[in-house]
Amino acid sequence: MREELNEKDLIYLQIARMLEDDILREVYREEEGVPSTNELARGYSINPATAAKGLNLLVDAGVLYKRRGIGMFVAKGAKETVREKRKAAFFDGYVKPLVQEGKFLGLTREELLAMVSMAQSEGENDDE
Amino acid sequence: MNENILKAKGLCKSYGSNEVLKDLDLEIQPGKIYGLIGRNGAGKTTLLGILTGQNTKNAGEVTYGGEQVWENQKALSQICFSRELQPTLFTGQNALKVKNYLKMGKLFYPGWDQEYADKLMAEFKVDPKKKIHQLSKGQMSMVTILIALASRAPLTILDEPAAGLDVVARERFYQLLLEDYMETGRTFIVSTHIIEEAASVFEQVIILDEGKIIENRPTEELIAQFHGISGREDVVDEVTRGMEVLSTQMLGKHKLVTVRADANKLTAAQNADVDITPLSLQKVFVALCGHEDTQQ
Repeated sequence: MREELNEKDLIYLQIARMLEDDILREVYREEEGVPSTNELARGYSINPATAAKGLNLLVDAGVLYKRRGIGMFVAKGAKETVREKRKAAFFDGYVKPLVQEGKFLGLTREELLAMVSMAQSEGENDDE
Repeated sequence: MNENILKAKGLCKSYGSNEVLKDLDLEIQPGKIYGLIGRNGAGKTTLLGILTGQNTKNAGEVTYGGEQVWENQKALSQICFSRELQPTLFTGQNALKVKNYLKMGKLFYPGWDQEYADKLMAEFKVDPKKKIHQLSKGQMSMVTILIALASRAPLTILDEPAAGLDVVARERFYQLLLEDYMETGRTFIVSTHIIEEAASVFEQVIILDEGKIIENRPTEELIAQFHGISGREDVVDEVTRGMEVLSTQMLGKHKLVTVRADANKLTAAQNADVDITPLSLQKVFVALCGHEDTQQ
């Protein structure tokens, strides 16, 4: 989880997103507990209702589940659920604007695809 | 839970020919932290004074749990309005000692938590033997906060608690407020000028403008209704047609507008060549209450 919230996005969405990130990174694995409403509220100095809203978003998405009186836990298959959800958001939030910006600069389809594949191979070299 | 609702109906208050509150209605539900924001002179302190039976009103009524608040000791013992301390009174300097001021709190509020008060005194490093006029502005704010928190009153109201505090003390204050709230679940109303850093603490925000409540809803629900849209003038005009436009700014052929519209009405704008940005609570406040000061 990050230390600071940004001031641009709605806070409960940021909370949900940070937990999703941690599930993708396997900071929290299946059947493990995640921070409670009060822990999140204390950690980020936010209203507990806002923290609860972020957690409930993930409960509704089937990523977390409640154990009454104990807390919130990562559901079975949560990582895959998050991945699918984020893939859709990736398309809308990154791919579409990428294509739009390319169009804006007058790039052809081939130029754009070449740039994407170049960035990808650079990334692979970095990983080595 | 119904019995702990604070309700104001048809409140009017004038000072001479100056109408401060104009037929104002307000309902405070128990168990939430409310933020009260409004410009200087909007009537925040007057309103809070009337809600807690400390100020007179010209018309209207205030009830807590269905009972009149005015001169009703039973209702008032449940409500704490910790006012800003004044270094001077009509009679001269405010020479009351801090410890005696706190004693008054102890006498007045049945839920007073002395242990908590002592703990806060030590943390804030306020000398109880000092007289109020000898305190710095920050220390006065701390005493105000201390009374509010230690009162443990089911409905606790703080008027500009952060005003005299430096940034470290303000952060600590919001932490203390949240910790108390998580422990007790009581109702808080906090008025403030310093909007941005408080936005995440408020579950619900009340905006007072020109003597009326113009908003009283969950903070995030309010913020989500506002967007900045910018781009070429004709494209911006096209996509914002029929929307409530709150402010407009031109920069060459570039136009920037602030609109109030549900997210589902923004589809046209999302597909057009314009930038859509969310607004912070502070910007929303300026858009709603900026009136004459901003360029239209």
